[in-house]
This record gives sequence, C-alpha cells and structure tokens, in this order.
Amino acid sequence: MSDWTLEGLAAAIRAGQISPVEATQECLARIARLDGRLRAFITVDRARALETARRLEGEQRRGLWRGPLHGVPLAFKDLCFIGGLPTSCGTKTAEYFRAEQDCTVVTRLVAAGAVTLGKLNMTELAMGPFGDNAHHGHAQNPWRRDHCAGGSSSGSAVAAAAGLALGAVGTDTGGSIRLPAAACGIVGLKPTYGRVSRAGAMALSWSNDHVGPMARTVRDCALLLQVMAGPDPLDATSSPLPVPDYRAGLGGGVAGLRVGVPENYFFQGLDAEMEAAVRRAAEVIAGLGARVGELRVPDPQTMSDVTNIVSRSEASTIHARLLRERPHEVQPVVRTRLELGMRIPAYDYLQALRLRARLARAFITEIFAEVDVLLAPVIPEPAPPLAHATLGAAHELAERQGRFSRFTRPFNGLGLPALSVPCGFSSAGLPLAFQVVGRPFDEATVLRVGDAYQQATDWHARRPALD
Amino acid sequence: MDESRPPQAEVAALLGVIERMAADLALAEEPSRFIAALEAGRPPVPDEPR
Repeated sequence: MSDWTLEGLAAAIRAGQISPVEATQECLARIARLDGRLRAFITVDRARALETARRLEGEQRRGLWRGPLHGVPLAFKDLCFIGGLPTSCGTKTAEYFRAEQDCTVVTRLVAAGAVTLGKLNMTELAMGPFGDNAHHGHAQNPWRRDHCAGGSSSGSAVAAAAGLALGAVGTDTGGSIRLPAAACGIVGLKPTYGRVSRAGAMALSWSNDHVGPMARTVRDCALLLQVMAGPDPLDATSSPLPVPDYRAGLGGGVAGLRVGVPENYFFQGLDAEMEAAVRRAAEVIAGLGARVGELRVPDPQTMSDVTNIVSRSEASTIHARLLRERPHEVQPVVRTRLELGMRIPAYDYLQALRLRARLARAFITEIFAEVDVLLAPVIPEPAPPLAHATLGAAHELAERQGRFSRFTRPFNGLGLPALSVPCGFSSAGLPLAFQVVGRPFDEATVLRVGDAYQQATDWHARRPALD
Repeated sequence: MDESRPPQAEVAALLGVIERMAADLALAEEPSRFIAALEAGRPPVPDEPR
C-alpha cells in the first residue's frame, strides 16, 4: 500500500478492495517500522485511529459514506489543534497551543472520512526552512540519510514521501509547505491567502500564514484542497468567494496557456542541477502546448523584505509570552529571530502592510496581463546535510535560512497560489522541484499545470528505498 | 557568540528598505487594499459581472 496515491486508496476502499482498518493498520505498522529513524511524527494516535477506522468500516458495511476521503489515513502538522491531543508547535511544551475548537481543516477532512494518524514534526514555532528540531528530533530526508527534510512542515513532507500517511496538512508563512515538499520529492500547495481557513492552527504571522495540502501527486492535493477550501466563520480572513471544482479541470492540458519563466532573481545563485531540472520541466510543459517564455518580474527581494518585516513583527507579538517567560526553552536561532521582531517599530510594521498592498496590486496587474502562470525554482539547491541547518552561530544559521527560502517568501507576501512539483533528482539522489504560481484564487490553473506535468513524467512515481 | 549585533544590523537594513519605499505612499493606501488586490486579480468567471 505504500505505493498508493490517496486518490487510488480512496477508490480501492470504496470498491471494497481494502478496508479502512487494513489501510490504517498498514500505515501504523509502517510508522512503527520507519519513524524511529525518519522522525516524521511527534504524536501517533494509534488507538483513536483504529477506533475511527473500525467505525468507518462499519458505516461502509451499512452503505453509509462520509465523503471522498472515507477511510483514508492522514496526518496533521503539530500546530493544528485537535482536542484530546497535545499541540506542541514544535516547542518543548507538549501543550503549547490550545484553541477553542478543533482546527477547521482537520474538522473538514475528518468529516469527509479521513482517519487521523497523529501529529507531525515541524520546525520549532514553524520558524525555519530546514526541518531541524532539537526538542523532537530532526526530521530526516527519506531520500538520503542525514540530509534536511525541509521545513517548517518537515514531518508532513516526510510522512507523505515515505508512505507513512497518504497525505498531510502543512502551513506556509515563508515557504513552509513548498520547501519541504521540494526537499522530499512530493507535491505541496500554498493556496491563495484566505482560500483555506487558518482557524485552529497556531499563527506565526496572521498576514502571511497559509494552510495547505501535501501529498505525492497533484491530483491528491486537488482532492484535499477541495475538502479544505472555503469560507469559515471562525476565520475572518477566509474568503467568501465560491470554491470551484478543482478536479474538474485536471486532465484538461495546458495547450495555449501562457507560462512565464522569470529572467531575474530566481535563477541567481541557483545550483546547476536544480537549474537544469527546472528548465527541463519548462521544456516539458512547452512540449505539451503551453506558450513558455521568459519575462522580468517586479523585484521579488523587495516583497521578501516587506514580508519579513510583517512576519517577524507578528511572530514576536504572538510568541512574546514564551520569549519573556521561558526564553531558555527556545532554540537559539528561533530566539534570535523572535528578538529581531521585537525591535521593529509599529510605524515600520504598518508601513510594510501598506506597501504590501501596493506591491501586490502592481505585481498581479503587470504579470498576469502577460502570462497565466509563473514557473520558477522552489529551493536554491537540493536538501543540504543536516549539519548545514544545525551547526554555527545563531545569526549564521538565520542567514542560511533566509537564503534557502528566498524563492518562496515573496509569494507569501503576494498571497498568490504556489504549487511545488518534483521534477527529478540530483546526482546525489536528492529531489529537485519547480513551483507554479498563479493568479489569486486560480488554484485550478496552477493544479492543471502541475497535473499535466505529472501525466507526462514519472518523477512522482518514484519511491525512496526505506524497507 | 555574539547574537545581538548581526540581528540589529539586519533590522536596520530591513527598516531602511521600508523607509525608502514608504516615502511616496498616498494617504489612501491602506493595508486592506491587499485583499482588494487579490479579489480584483482573480480569474474571470464565465457570466459573472466584473
């Protein structure tokens, strides 16, 4: 079953080829066998997962069907609040975060029939792009021992890549879905700001946080997004705009679609193998009939700086109590970044928010008059060794973190949908990836491009040698 | 390990960017226009008045 896609398993359960209990038992056995090394999970909820699977199996026998995820085992980043389970947010404190109600996306996925396997490892407070965590163990890249899994949704990517869960939920404030997805060779979608409710998920930055799906295929991410997306009275920033049928557009091809490859910023300082793979992916998409061309984009570094000011100010505000009362519990590099936010005056924070609106309007108007989507690298190099993420002074680590997330952060500030898609492997056997970025609320086109690429290639079908 | 000096320099650099760019912001430019920019930039829906 470890080779199955989420979509395939859901269909097999519906056809009676495998039961929810069998699927759940297989995931739990795989977690027991592999997670001591991979460190994808912080909490495995074995008893409740099996209880839920048995209940779903009974309902199926009676002809009851909860939804498109009936009996499918999923897992959630450990900043999604689920009553009865600890929510550490990657900190030393097991119950760091409590919400009045369960995380909305978890509630929606469970209502659609998903089985909750447990809570997934993450970088402390979702701050950091490498997936290291001194409190819960460093998440390990399934493709190469002692290499980073990417972060902050490290466990989400590892669990999906290693077949410990069929899909996962992550969050993305500066790249935290796309970075680990790229590093671990899976698909990750940061939706448009407001497309998916953030209620019940720990905030790092209210203005830049996005909740999204992570799985092995674009089709699986589309299935998860369909369930997760939509307005939520518990999140005032969730959009009231109607949710389209994401899966209806898949398979429609990309003929005539205008694809822009940025000629500035995104290919500067890029690893040679990564650049070659991303450019080959653009050629594949051109070969499918898309009109691919280069274009200059408004300076992403400016948007990245503005996003940084906003994220750091909000993160320091949100976690001020931890920093004030228990600073010794926070990893030095995380503490350094939180302290940085404390030094940003309210005047500059508010100016950054005003600038963000102007930059977003200009970027959207200018770019999407020329193209339908952008295609760019996600990470500047294949997943580096864990030592790269953990050794050195805090300010040196913070600098490395900033460099590793420089291609993803601008799209958090812009609020645009961005999908990370695997597109090959380095000579060291580590995944390579590109991202597709679309108009606001045009996840359908972004997913269509990613799916067309996956239908024409087989990178997503490869599995790490773990057994 | 001196953890305070480099972050201060980083803050100063970021604030310098904000200061330069914010110089010509118009009075009407406020944060909520970000959401308006997203909604205005969404793809056209068939038969929907824009």
